[in-house]
Amino acid sequence: MSTETTTETSDELTQRGLIDRFRASPFVSSLLSNRLALAGIGIILAMLVVALYARFFIDLETITQSQLGTNPNREPPSAAYPFGTDGQARSILPRVAYGAWYALLYGTATVAFSTVLGVGLGILAAYYGDVADNVIMRTMDVLLAFPSLLLALALVAIFPDGLGLWRAVIALTLVYTPRFARVVRGAALTVLENEYVDATVALGAPDPRVLVRHVLPNCLAPITVQSTLNFGLAIIDIAALSFLGFGAAAGTPSWGLMLSNGVNLGLLTGDWWWSFFPGAALAVTVLGFNLLGDGMRDALDPRMREAVD
Amino acid sequence: MISGRFVLKRLLLLVPVLLGVASLVFSILHLSPGDPALTIAGNRASEEFVRQIEESLGLNDPIWVQYVDFLVNAAQFQFGESFILFRDASVTSILIDKLPITIELAVYGQLIGISLGIPLGIISAVKQNTLTDHTTRVGALAGISIPIFWSGPLLILLFAQILGWFPTSGRISAIYNVEAIRLTGLLTIDTLLYGEWEMFISAVKHLALPATVIGIYSMALISRMMRSSMLEVIRQDYMRTARAKGQGSKITVLKHGFRNAMIPVITVIGIQFGSLLGGAVLTETVFAIQGIGGLLVEAIRVGDYPIVQGTVLTFAFLFTLVNLGVDITYSILDPRIDQ
Repeated sequence: MSTETTTETSDELTQRGLIDRFRASPFVSSLLSNRLALAGIGIILAMLVVALYARFFIDLETITQSQLGTNPNREPPSAAYPFGTDGQARSILPRVAYGAWYALLYGTATVAFSTVLGVGLGILAAYYGDVADNVIMRTMDVLLAFPSLLLALALVAIFPDGLGLWRAVIALTLVYTPRFARVVRGAALTVLENEYVDATVALGAPDPRVLVRHVLPNCLAPITVQSTLNFGLAIIDIAALSFLGFGAAAGTPSWGLMLSNGVNLGLLTGDWWWSFFPGAALAVTVLGFNLLGDGMRDALDPRMREAVD
Repeated sequence: MISGRFVLKRLLLLVPVLLGVASLVFSILHLSPGDPALTIAGNRASEEFVRQIEESLGLNDPIWVQYVDFLVNAAQFQFGESFILFRDASVTSILIDKLPITIELAVYGQLIGISLGIPLGIISAVKQNTLTDHTTRVGALAGISIPIFWSGPLLILLFAQILGWFPTSGRISAIYNVEAIRLTGLLTIDTLLYGEWEMFISAVKHLALPATVIGIYSMALISRMMRSSMLEVIRQDYMRTARAKGQGSKITVLKHGFRNAMIPVITVIGIQFGSLLGGAVLTETVFAIQGIGGLLVEAIRVGDYPIVQGTVLTFAFLFTLVNLGVDITYSILDPRIDQ
């Protein structure tokens, strides 16, 4: 489908209604008939609600500072403290809720940055070929030669502590970019073989127009799948960096840091709730993104669609 | 069979990648905050003493001289001496000491993953869209969604704290002298070679939980790949031909399907092994195992740069080697690739 026709008939489109068109797409209908993918969407929406509620209605000060003397210390889950309290007598429930905000905020930032960078580099490499292709893709090869968490760890150390979780975001952006670049380069090379691209070039369209109007829209499918699957990874890796002590500043209600405190200070004394709830929230959120990502991948792959029928 | 030329070409392609890897590590360490000379000398050291150390570390040389020195040393696996964690011990000897610990953990974890993941994937594919298939798929998705630093504590809580079946941390009971039986550095092998049965059992018990944590994750990834690969193979014409000539379906799946379906799975296992090495950082932290994963975290925290660069380069080198091994295995399984 060429984007030229889309613009010309945009009036007609508005009449038909975007929602109908959306539903009619085989991708969306296949995705919506997949119960697991729907469950994933449900989990993500629920987490989003929790995150927004926490961001606007929970006072960050109260859940960050020590509540010793005010609340009971290391209290097991009860009616007053559904998830119990931690070693500084802070109630764990609102901290876990606020952690959802951090996970989604920094996860989104990481995925957004690495998508933009990776897509840009991948398309440039495919379009200009030769030297540009070699320089870009060989650099990506070097970044891919490290186990991902390890490279992130080494990179995190460069940035000042003051950046907090943004350190993790920057490091992981660099770690994930090559994956997007590879996927997009492959997709773009296929798109570039189409005649409509040659036609657009022959008509004298400038490079940026060809890339943005014709190549990019046709690479969107693999980009979206890769982004969704990377969301889960990003949330885990950000938490992992915090867990290892490189990320969130002390006291911050991020899931990784809460888990680390719970494991180091609470596990051997039997205070299981301290690490259990942040970990459960993390696992459920990641599962949500993986369910959705998996469903999207199946929906995009016609062979898989056949298999579902 | 594979040709020598193919392997040689692959090896040559590694050179620029490894050069890039080394350059990246060099830049990262030079961008890192903190003055190594000051770290070694301590805050109260005299100006003159700090200068002396800078001189001996070559920190006053022009940057390109430092870079060339670094590359020459790295090519010989020389990473200098640790300046904080193991004062003055050579990083190479520390790595030789710690590497087997991490490798043992990763290998057993991977073995658990392979031995469970492959059969699960095959069953899931053969019984596509049945309850077994759905359960396996959701289980596998859950497996890759649960972070190691949560499943680890959960297993410790259940099997070590509540049931008391396994120890919570470490590699072997503290009553044994491990150094006395050191040959390969792999405890499960050394204890057997020396016939120390009780030590062997202790080592296996300590290894059980961390290896399981890694195994669950790797099983999840492998069974997913095995399933989709098997589904693809099952629809091929040669499978139908084999069935048509009267071969039983089980034999067809195992004889014709398995080998072809394994090709992409081997890639996943290989790549997976690399990320297991990275994941060792987390597993070793959770289970207080002193391998190179835990070492790296500690070294970054205190700023022991020679250890950081040695560890990161070793990990990247191993990762690249494993990937090369995967490529070669791939070409043995699928001769069409070697062209």
